[in-house]
Order: sequence, then C-alpha cells, then structure tokens
Amino acid sequence: MNVFVLAIIAAIILLDKYAVGEFGVSQPIISGTIIGAIFGDISSGIFLGALLQLIFLGESPFGGDIEPDGQAAGIIGTGSYFLLVSSNPLEYSLFLAIVFALVGGIIGGVLNMYAHVYNEKLYRVFMEKKHLLYVCHFAGLVTAFLRGLCLLLPIFILAHIVTIPRAFPQLTKELLMIIGLSVGLSNGLYLFVKKSTILYLCGGIACSLLLFVL
Amino acid sequence: MQLAFIRFIKIFFSSLFIQSSWSYFSKQGMGFMVNLIYGTKNKEDTIMKEHNELFNTHPYMASYIIGATIRAYDEGKTSEDIKRFITIAQTSFASAGDLLFWQTLRPALLLISVIFGLKFGIIGPVLFIISYNAFHLFHRARGITDGYNKGWDVIYLIKAKRFIMVQHVFEILGALFTGLLFILIAFKINYLLLIPLTSLFVILLLRRYSATFIIIAVLVLIVIIALV
Repeated sequence: MNVFVLAIIAAIILLDKYAVGEFGVSQPIISGTIIGAIFGDISSGIFLGALLQLIFLGESPFGGDIEPDGQAAGIIGTGSYFLLVSSNPLEYSLFLAIVFALVGGIIGGVLNMYAHVYNEKLYRVFMEKKHLLYVCHFAGLVTAFLRGLCLLLPIFILAHIVTIPRAFPQLTKELLMIIGLSVGLSNGLYLFVKKSTILYLCGGIACSLLLFVL
Repeated sequence: MQLAFIRFIKIFFSSLFIQSSWSYFSKQGMGFMVNLIYGTKNKEDTIMKEHNELFNTHPYMASYIIGATIRAYDEGKTSEDIKRFITIAQTSFASAGDLLFWQTLRPALLLISVIFGLKFGIIGPVLFIISYNAFHLFHRARGITDGYNKGWDVIYLIKAKRFIMVQHVFEILGALFTGLLFILIAFKINYLLLIPLTSLFVILLLRRYSATFIIIAVLVLIVIIALV
C-alpha cells in the first residue's frame, strides 16, 4: 500500500470528525475496519480499532481543554500497525503502533486547535468581503483535510521506513487487551453507572459469568 | 405551513457541513449562515448582516433551530425576535444534544459495537454505523421539518420522548454492556491486572483529570508493562 494514498484516504476519513456529516465513520472501530479491509486483514483492524475505541470512548468533539483526538489516534494506530508489521515482528509493531496512536492523538488535538485558529482567519476574510461567504465556509474543509494530512503523513512515512531493533519493548495482544479493557471499563463505569442503572450493570456482569460457565 | 421537498433537501445537505468552518471566534457561525441562505429566498444580504456572529449548538440539533428560523423569516418576524429565539434555542439544544449523543447514545452504541466486533467480527462496526446513523439522520431530517412546522415552539421538543426516553434507554444499555465487557476476559492470571488498572482509571476520571493526562497515563502504563 502506498503511504501517500493511505494518508489521503485516512485524512478523508478524518474529515468525518467534525467537518462533514459526523456519521461516525472516523470512530476508531470503524476506521480500523476500513483500514484493515484496505490491507486485507479486517480482523486485526477491528481488534486494534476496538481497543483504541475503548480508550477513547467518552470523547466529545469540542471540549474546554485541548482534547486528544481519538479519531486520529484510531486511524494512526491501525494504519501504522499494518505498515510496521510488513517489515517487523508483530509484538514490536503492536507496541510502536499504540505509542504512535496515543502520541498522535495528543498532537492531533493540538493541530485541531490550529485548524480552528486558521478558520478564524477565514471568518475575518468573510467579514471584510461578504461575497466570499461560501468560499470561506467550504475552505474549512481544506483546513480540516490538511490538518489530517499534516498529522498522518509523517507518522505513516515513519512507520513505513522504520526497522525496530530487537532490544525494543514488546506488547502482546493479550496485554493490549487488558489495558484496553481496563480503560474501557472505567470509561463505561464513569459514563453510565448511577443509582438508577447499577442493577443493569450487575445484570451485565451476571450474564458475562453465565456465558463463561456455559 | 409546509416545507417544500427541494428546499428541505437543500437545507438537509447544507446542514451536514455546518461545522466545516468551525472557529473559536464564531463557532458554527458561518455554517449557520450558509444553512439559512440555502433555506430562504432572496434574504442573503439580510442574513449576512444579522447573523454574522457566534452560533454554537450541537451539530445534529442545529436542524431544529434552522427549521424554526427559516419559518420565522417566511412569516416576516422581526430580526430582534429571531435573534432572541436563536440565543435561547442554541444553548438549550446544545445541552440536550451533548447529553443525548456525545455522553449517552454514541458511547453506548460504541461499547456494543466493540463487544460485537471483538466477538463476531464485522457485525460490530456495521451495527454501529446503521444504528447510530438511524438516530443521527432522524434528528437531522426531522429537526428541519419539526422546526419549520412548530416554529418557535420547537424548543419544547427537548422534553419529548425522542430525547428523554432514548437517553434513558441508552443509559441502561450502556450500563448493561459495561457489565458485558467481562465477556472479553479470559481465565488467565494476567487478567487480574484489570482490577488495579480499572480502579486507577476510575479514580482519575472521578477526580476529573484532563483527557490528555489520562491518555499520557495510559501511554506510560503501556511502556512500563511492555518493558516489564
């Protein structure tokens, strides 16, 4: 897979974060599936996407602070994993892909801020030249696309060229599952569990145990 | 008063781009203007003069306000009244939409899709896309028609079943599927790590540490675990 083509496809998916529609296509589990399909390994794409999704479960698009970009993290995680694993052992690739995803998510949040600042300039242009309303408004799509490309392309190029030394830390799928599940569980408990819903939580746990036994 | 189909389609498609030019200064201001211009006839100059300021609400809920504002223009209401309605409605719909979509419906459906995805593969993501967009597109489309038909009374819809009941159902589903996350656990000694790690992250969330701090904590944890 050509890295530039992948970065362009990924930047288009990332437009869904806020610039177009917000259909949920950029959510890690969906983008992971799409990128997995592009590389011919949907199950790995779903696995990585699902675990990154658990980490970024309660994200809102515009927060008071600079929020990490969970959607970008999902795309970076799965994209760089497939690029890394083509020339490196699985456990090393998994570790580096997750590190790229989390760091990329934080950088993505900062870049998002710059994209919005640039949109502010577009707004000021509109205030001076009213007939440019449509141009200034839809130029925001270009800003969002370029933000995605600036974030994704360097990381994908790095993932494509890097050869991981053997002394590098490794991460097994099982350990990643444990971390993803613990963050996902805490997110779920924080978001949904209150006095009125605690019974349903217990019901869910009971069903899980029952399925274990069966 | 009924909204013509062609007009509805124009407003609907332009509403998908309401946040394209989101900025800190005007938020969705430009997008809102573009939506109103698509929905009204020969009011371009008036709209650009009267609405070139901050507009911020939930992107899906904006449809309700757009529909009601276009109706107000059709009825020839005064700009002061229209602005007053927008000021009140944007805050109310923003909080209703954030609570319904960002904090309840989306995380609950994502949780369900994660469990289905890890257990049954492609079914999980497909389930999410279909079910989430059924609710999302319903509010986008119905918001425009309800806003137009009910006019300024649209604001009372916040108390309607489509908000209150759906939110309640998805809170229940969210709690149920949080419990069902235990399905993904295997009977291995390593999985005992879940207890201290989950407790740690719950404490971080309850103490309202920023999302960036929590992600850095996850990163540090992954590095430590990988090194050990």
